[in-house]
Amino acid sequence: MDFSDFKTSPVMLAIALGIVAFVTAQSLFFIVKSWKHAKELGIEKETLKNTVVSSILFTVAPAISILATVIVLANALGTILPWIRLTVIGNLAYETTAAQTAVEAMGGTLGSEITDPKQFATVTWAMTIGSIAPLIFLPFVCKKLQNKIGEAVNKSEGAKKLGDALSAAAFIGIISAFIARAIAGTSSDGNNAGFMSVSVLIVAVIAMVILESICKKFKLDKLQPFTMPLSMFIGMGAAMLFEAVLPAEITSFMWR
Amino acid sequence: MQKNYFDRVHRWGITWNIGALLMLLCVPVIVCVNLGVWPELKTLASVLSKLMLLYWVTAVIEVITYVPMLGAGGTYLSFVTGNITNLKLPCGLSAMENAKVRANTEEGEVISTIAIGVSAITTTVIIAVGVLAFSPVLPYITAESSAFRPAFEQVLPALFGALAASYFAKHWKLVPLPIIVGVIVLIFAPTMGVGTLMFVTIVAAVAGALIMHKKNWL
Repeated sequence: MDFSDFKTSPVMLAIALGIVAFVTAQSLFFIVKSWKHAKELGIEKETLKNTVVSSILFTVAPAISILATVIVLANALGTILPWIRLTVIGNLAYETTAAQTAVEAMGGTLGSEITDPKQFATVTWAMTIGSIAPLIFLPFVCKKLQNKIGEAVNKSEGAKKLGDALSAAAFIGIISAFIARAIAGTSSDGNNAGFMSVSVLIVAVIAMVILESICKKFKLDKLQPFTMPLSMFIGMGAAMLFEAVLPAEITSFMWR
Repeated sequence: MQKNYFDRVHRWGITWNIGALLMLLCVPVIVCVNLGVWPELKTLASVLSKLMLLYWVTAVIEVITYVPMLGAGGTYLSFVTGNITNLKLPCGLSAMENAKVRANTEEGEVISTIAIGVSAITTTVIIAVGVLAFSPVLPYITAESSAFRPAFEQVLPALFGALAASYFAKHWKLVPLPIIVGVIVLIFAPTMGVGTLMFVTIVAAVAGALIMHKKNWL
């Protein structure tokens, strides 16, 4: 890290470390409180441990792709600002668009380094103000919304069943958006729907089905929590395998 | 008891939420004081008018969509740490699925909060270690010619494929409608952002579920 560059100065590093400490403290606080309450509810320690380990495994690959976004943005902004932005609130799609909009408004591109402190300050403000909206809304709506839902679904057995169906439906709606994108979407980085996205999707589905049925058949309860992250890795591994063994015309074939 | 615990979670959540907001606003202030420059208001206003139109409206939709699914603690944690759709939400839901607990119960609440908290710490550590220790090597891993590149380009299809397989089998009747709607929307609007598309597919899935529930098909 080049400390003489204003984008990666010791002050910037200190801000980043402060934010890392805050986010970690908040997460630990909620984990400890939930853990205690889980014990009061009589949830087994084994279940909690499995939740922790499978969540770590589940997170590794997406976290590395978030890290890749930091690297992409680092061309123009240095490593620290993208690091800060992707540690709090930030998400892959938003931060790239926000940075791009701000840099382009000042006549630059994300491909070239920002050397004017004033431009850098503008990008920092734009990325921050653009992303904080949920934190402003949440304190007002979260509790009300959740109480209403709690009351509605716990009213009767029928309402409970409908509540379950609706929350399953909402989640299926989310998955469907990503599946539809793998089938027919386009992306700003040119990684559009095509052979790769659909075949990785299918491999991950098949891997999951096979792993789940192995768990069921051989009663491998210990493996159960890891079927999801494992299937994800198998899907990603398949992408590397296809790229290595199949002709480029097939792997780069996109219909969008 | 039930009301008590959720009330406490909301109180903690709001406190941390306000803390995060203040801390975030300090970042650009410290940057400006440190560099001794302030942004040109005209440029900033023109950038923000574009960004806020898009992201503040999306934020309202996001809050309404995710709050019922993430649980109270999970919601406050997710919105502070970000990367909800591509990480926190699937992580929390898959943990509840594995532990066989339902959302909107105290059991679901603690499991999803633990999962999302662990996921947030893991992400924070990976990014921090990546930036501090591996930043010279990282570009090689993500470079055009790297053997790992295809794997990371396909993280989302792999993640959602695995998730779909376990979830769709149980609720297969609800599945075709939102996917078909999503694909049709993308055929006509291929560049639509995933946030907006998700809203459309969720509405389709929920409407489908309501109709099927009324007709007793579920």
